[in-house]
Amino acid sequence: MVTYFIQGKNFLGLLKNLKEDYEVIIPHGETDYFWKSFENDFIFNKYRAITSIRQFFFAAKRTVGKYFNKLQKEKRPYCIVGAKACDLFSLNIQDYVFLSEPQDLDYRLNRENNLIISGDCIDFKEVCFCVLLDILPYPVKFFDLNISPIDNGYIVDVGSEKGEKIVLENKDLFEDVDKNKILEIDSRRKKTIERLFSHLRSQNLPKKDSLYNLIKNNYQANVWQKEALKCVECGACIMNCPTCHCFLLFDSKLEKDYLRAISWDGCQYKNFTKVAGGANPLKFRSYRLRNRYIKKFEFFYEKLNLYACTGCGRCIDSCIVKIDLREIFKELSYSEVNLK
Amino acid sequence: MSIYIPQETELIKIITETQNIKTFVFKPKNGFSFKTGQFVELTYPGFGEAPFTPSSNPFNTKEFDITIMKVGRVTSLLHEAKEGIVLGLRGPFGNGYPLNEFLKKDILIVGGGVGLAPLRSLLLSLFTEIDKYNKIVLRYGARSPKDIVYKEQLKEWSKIKKVDVVVTVDVGDETWTGNVGLVTTILKDLPLDINNAVSIVCGPPIMMKFVTFKLLDLGFKPKDIYLSLEKNMSCGLGKCGHCRLGKYYICKDGPVFRFSDIKDIWDIWD
Repeated sequence: MVTYFIQGKNFLGLLKNLKEDYEVIIPHGETDYFWKSFENDFIFNKYRAITSIRQFFFAAKRTVGKYFNKLQKEKRPYCIVGAKACDLFSLNIQDYVFLSEPQDLDYRLNRENNLIISGDCIDFKEVCFCVLLDILPYPVKFFDLNISPIDNGYIVDVGSEKGEKIVLENKDLFEDVDKNKILEIDSRRKKTIERLFSHLRSQNLPKKDSLYNLIKNNYQANVWQKEALKCVECGACIMNCPTCHCFLLFDSKLEKDYLRAISWDGCQYKNFTKVAGGANPLKFRSYRLRNRYIKKFEFFYEKLNLYACTGCGRCIDSCIVKIDLREIFKELSYSEVNLK
Repeated sequence: MSIYIPQETELIKIITETQNIKTFVFKPKNGFSFKTGQFVELTYPGFGEAPFTPSSNPFNTKEFDITIMKVGRVTSLLHEAKEGIVLGLRGPFGNGYPLNEFLKKDILIVGGGVGLAPLRSLLLSLFTEIDKYNKIVLRYGARSPKDIVYKEQLKEWSKIKKVDVVVTVDVGDETWTGNVGLVTTILKDLPLDINNAVSIVCGPPIMMKFVTFKLLDLGFKPKDIYLSLEKNMSCGLGKCGHCRLGKYYICKDGPVFRFSDIKDIWDIWD
């Protein structure tokens, strides 16, 4: 991997240059990070933002077309700065869904045209458990450029041809990298991993390899009912999850035109599986909660040999009634069915 | 062209089947063909779409029929629609009935209510090449004599050589002289060789459940029972997530499944 150094002030210059061609999205905040459009300042986010990067590839709400004609629209691609490894891992799932034939062309164009400048996690939130799922707290795939803060600038790893092109177009802003700085970054990465493992050790969570069977063998476990009784169906877990992909197709009328639109949807909502005749396979909150876990830890594992979970902990963070994925797995690992 | 955008299809004829079931005949603008058992998403412009399985013979590629019961928002609007309006069409989606697996077999078709609609498409396909199949046995149940769809056609079909038709109603009336009882009650003494037979079932989930159990009792193997499942299919492409059943999406991997492929999935009849 080709690596450079960029000073902080030059990184701001890079973002200003990228603004010409991209809608540059950066994190902002102090302890919690939200996404906003880049203006003049940039703060490096120590860990992942509150919401995932899914919105930049598959908008939470979009008009797909004016039928019976396709809606033509010009939109600048996004440059997403500060995406973390957990965000990038979720592209495995989103790509599988939307790039499988027949492809969602809007998603494909966003994947092709968006630029990803990811960053290392130099700290983590209490809810983070990425390393439990073998996801490292620094990006290894799916980025164009990756930045790791050091001294008064960043070490920049180039992860794609598109990233290489950006470096070439802005070569005055980049410098050769001092090997000691790379060693320093490596050392910090190792320390972050150790700190994360140490944080998780006390939580006594089941091992990654056991999660599939814990879900598959516990369809009738009490924990679904117990936890679901707390659920108020706000949908925060769905909307903040980087791997959730379900959506609703709906129509509206605008003067003489008919519009077809898409909005995010999710299995925690009561009517998600309801049919016109009234039947609803996921009629109870407990069924819906269980469905979410089956989809993420059984369905996708069987399809891709991957869990559709990045360990970002957003579902835990955003749940107003404190339904905690880690607690559910712990309870499943102790449940009767599993012990048999 | 976006995969979510429908093509235009003109509604050219409406046939009233029962008090709440109508057959709609469509002429798609850009041509359209389907395999029997596949489904489409039909759009009422500005209001939304709903999944339906065509009920006509797929060998007719100029027009196609959909038989629709008035149950929800889109179907209610369709029932108010007039001939000549333009609706939207996406599809066909999923896998249809595997006709090749039915060659030289005795074919038992069991329908319930408006579930006879997709089966009519299958029957008409089978009739078109009837020499390829041994025998076609149709068993159909409706709630009452007034709820029987394709009344005249059922009579016509029973006259075809190699075809055996028996109809029952859950509750009879003063005009009804035929069988009374659930469709499972007419699944005895079937004129076919179960060891060389397949069965195809379509109807409400509760009917499919008990018919499947009855067929297993009769000696049908799970791999020889084909079910047309229905969930909240929306995108039709295995992306929107609404119709997942175990490892399958009904829209993409179905809607027709062998019972052997789904029998171990929890809650398949819900």
